[in-house]
Amino acid sequence: MARWIRWVVGILCVLVIVGAIYFPILRRRLRAAAKLQQQTAEQARRELTQVDPGEPRIKAKLFWASGNGDGTLMDSTVELPLSSDPVLRSKQVLNTLLAGPVDADLRTLPPDAVLLALYLLPNGTAIADFSEPLATATPSGIQSEQMAVDSITRTLEANVPKVQRLKILIHGQEVETLAGHLDLTGTFLVNTKGTLVAPVATAPVVTPPTPPNAEKPAAPAPTADKPAAAPATKPSSPKRV
Amino acid sequence: MVLDPAHGGTDPGARGTGGIRESEIVLDFAAQVRRALESQGFQVVQTRQGNEDPSFDDRSALANAQSGAVFVTLHIASTGLPGTARVYVNSDLPVAADLAGLISWDRAQTPFQGLSRRLGNLVQGLLAQRFKGSPSTAQTAAVRQLRTTAAPAIAVEISSVVVENRADLDRMGPGVADAIATGIAAFRPSYVVPTTSGGTP
Repeated sequence: MARWIRWVVGILCVLVIVGAIYFPILRRRLRAAAKLQQQTAEQARRELTQVDPGEPRIKAKLFWASGNGDGTLMDSTVELPLSSDPVLRSKQVLNTLLAGPVDADLRTLPPDAVLLALYLLPNGTAIADFSEPLATATPSGIQSEQMAVDSITRTLEANVPKVQRLKILIHGQEVETLAGHLDLTGTFLVNTKGTLVAPVATAPVVTPPTPPNAEKPAAPAPTADKPAAAPATKPSSPKRV
Repeated sequence: MVLDPAHGGTDPGARGTGGIRESEIVLDFAAQVRRALESQGFQVVQTRQGNEDPSFDDRSALANAQSGAVFVTLHIASTGLPGTARVYVNSDLPVAADLAGLISWDRAQTPFQGLSRRLGNLVQGLLAQRFKGSPSTAQTAAVRQLRTTAAPAIAVEISSVVVENRADLDRMGPGVADAIATGIAAFRPSYVVPTTSGGTP
């Protein structure tokens, strides 16, 4: 046998032995990682189902699908023991939302999805961290993904006035889209009085050509009594094609 | 005209139980829309010709590279009343121009939102005439593809991949193509390219 063949066979043997030793270790590690993920999800579930018996039962408004098949949502009133703490309260309503309505066809979020964590920043932005099934099991499509997000934002809007905006994370990470369409890189307006969540008024607007702006005026500072999202963006210096 | 058959490559998009793949159907639809547009005298560019999956930014870049483009991204939904079609325009974002009046790449759609809405309503109105049960005006959604597109941009989503027979979707092709081409032709005279102040010397 040529010398080089002996070398190749030798190296291959060594590789097989190393692989045989490493394989069970790799399997053990994979199992441990899966278990850890399961534990986090379970822990989140437990934390959210823990109810302080002293908390008063309040009528919460939850948004699930209307069942018309047209992507609209319908509110259902559910009596829940709700905390006065906005973070706990958000978790409680979102968990009930995730648990789903009596009629499973009206679900807006996948049954396996779990809320892993929720934080509330002082500026009113809630950061909700969901488990991976929210991204992998939400049906792909603009309508279905928009419905999933709308059901979350409208439920928060109806029950937790402190939450102004919502940022959605998937397993602690920012992702580009929910399931291929809906943008998750930004934040969603929650307390909008219907600006983002309801279809915007769509009466055709005839825009007269505006004169070119020679100098851009300093943008007026947003005032507290004016909602920031109300003014429409106005293109300046129109140029005819 | 930039036509974007969504998904492709390793990303099949929405999938029906009967094996219908969004990425394949939108490619067929794109061919029909393209023919309808070309017959109206439009020059058409597609973001993909076959089974590739360009990034969101690469798709937007095709429209952003030219002045006066219109962008249409085609989708098949997982949900919705079968036989209906919806047009989406991007959610109203707060104006994010910097001091020089420049809009950052990732908010490229911002100055075009009014135009997108006008185009969306035109196309949606025509789709509603052809497909009963479709809404009469364009809807708003945070569609990732539209956000980085610096042109009047709409997403057209057809319901849905859950139909048992693919022929049910294929039958909608000519109506969708005609509505998009007619809508864009009607939009053309009112298309004025917005520029951000200070953006040009």
